Amino acid sequence: MKKFNAARIGKYFSATLISLLALVPFYVVVLFSLNTPARIFYEGNILLPDFHFHNYLDAWKSSKIGIAMVNSIIIAGGALAVVVFFASSAGYTIARFKSRFNSIVFSIFLMSMMIPGIINTVPLYILIKSIGGINHLWAMILVCATLALPFSVFLYTGFIKSLSREIEESAIIDGCSWFSAFWRVTFHFLKPVTAAVIIINGLSVWNNYAQAVFFLPNQKAHTIPLALSVFFQQFAGAKWNLLAAAAVTGVFPVVLAFLVFQKSFMKGITAGALKG
Amino acid sequence: MDGLMSRISRNMHKYMAIPAVLLFSVFFLYPLARGIGLSLTDWDGIKDPNFVGIQNFIDFFKDKRARNDIMITVLFALGSAPLLNIFGFIYALILDGKFRGNGVNRAIVYMPAIISPLIMGYIWYFILQPERGYLFHLLKKAGLEYMLGNWLADYKAALLVLILVNVWQYAGMTMIIYLAGLQSISLDIYEVSRIDGAGYFSRLFYITVPLLIPSIIINVVTNIIGSLSVFDVIMALTEGGPGYSTESLGIYIMRMCYGSNTGYSTAVAIILFFIILLPVAAFMGLMKSKEVETI
Repeated sequence: MKKFNAARIGKYFSATLISLLALVPFYVVVLFSLNTPARIFYEGNILLPDFHFHNYLDAWKSSKIGIAMVNSIIIAGGALAVVVFFASSAGYTIARFKSRFNSIVFSIFLMSMMIPGIINTVPLYILIKSIGGINHLWAMILVCATLALPFSVFLYTGFIKSLSREIEESAIIDGCSWFSAFWRVTFHFLKPVTAAVIIINGLSVWNNYAQAVFFLPNQKAHTIPLALSVFFQQFAGAKWNLLAAAAVTGVFPVVLAFLVFQKSFMKGITAGALKG
Repeated sequence: MDGLMSRISRNMHKYMAIPAVLLFSVFFLYPLARGIGLSLTDWDGIKDPNFVGIQNFIDFFKDKRARNDIMITVLFALGSAPLLNIFGFIYALILDGKFRGNGVNRAIVYMPAIISPLIMGYIWYFILQPERGYLFHLLKKAGLEYMLGNWLADYKAALLVLILVNVWQYAGMTMIIYLAGLQSISLDIYEVSRIDGAGYFSRLFYITVPLLIPSIIINVVTNIIGSLSVFDVIMALTEGGPGYSTESLGIYIMRMCYGSNTGYSTAVAIILFFIILLPVAAFMGLMKSKEVETI
């Protein structure tokens, strides 16, 4: 019994330790974001900030983070809508109707999952430039949706294969075509995998920097990571309080979403990763 | 006409992959093919490209900076991938099983992975800056500030710092996958081995690890792909410096593209593709054969 307790205490202790380790940088950035510009830590306490909330107002005004947030929301929303509709319908036909075309499509998507976006960013940049898409949100939406497509098709295909064909067959008897049976019936059964697709791809689109830096050079089209990188380069070394406030503002939406939907986040990520 | 329309609508379900295929062909497959073509030219992004054969590839391996960047990229991956797996695995062992608060702990440990690695890099900049960073003040309180060097500006230390920041950020991600793997192992197996007198560590290495091979494959492959194409965290913390001591191939591609070496930069991308493909294929082959042996 004694040994059991020691193991238990050890587990609690190490669990607390790794949680603290993960939290420290979050704590530091919030701390810095609430300090007055003059604050140095040589004297006084090192753990509590000055609660100088005015930094947030100043950071919002002097950075372009407001516009960037709108751009990020439009890009993420647009890309996710495209991915959910294109990938789920592709997954349906691949899972349900065997044909040579469908199996070739599936294996191309499967192989492409191994290719990171950076590999074809330069020729993609040339293409986007020639169709006039640089600095346009629609182009970034299509770029991000394309990058998200292989994995999403893969997830939907696997999930639909695990569903019984009967769910469509009853709709077919009622006079539906296979096509409308998908949208009227099957699609509603896909909620768990749609949640996983939205969470996993939502994060990578929201955080995207490597593509955004190519396709959205103009400040008016900047997303949150781009706006922050400009803000940081502008004040490199100075005004840490404002930089930190901007960083907190930039990560706030995604942290909030994570805290609110924590359970489905963890489930979606696990489901997505295990299928992959 | 009516017959044709109804025939199309009856067969529509067979062609539902077409929107996805079109999008993917235009924005992925076509640029990929175009990139292979461009890698054989001297295109600067403006003038007409001239065919130069494999000259770009020869230039690449002759260039000292390019060879350095391969080494940096591979070192980053060699540091990141094993550490991510070791920490992810240990974290998973700690947070496995049911005890109070472990759901919250898991979420907290995972949280860094949801943040943009660029912004995470900036936050670490606040911590690590000499004279002003949080770590400096913390050490100063303890009278230990001499221990803190200007690591991000140090030729040798900078890469190590980048690796550690990357491992810190994504250990929770590998943990989640190991946790799911651990939960799929039947408790009966442990029960039987305990009766047979196996200790904690022999159970760990003879039962847990072999049964986790699918999770190990997912993690190692994802980590190899991710760390060999590293970009964001380096841009945030060192931008490839000091000198070129932390310049990854991903950053080199961007610099060459902006530096009017468009054809050359596509050749570098192809080289990077093979650098990623080789270890991934080798590892998957190795693990496939192991999996058969143990089961």
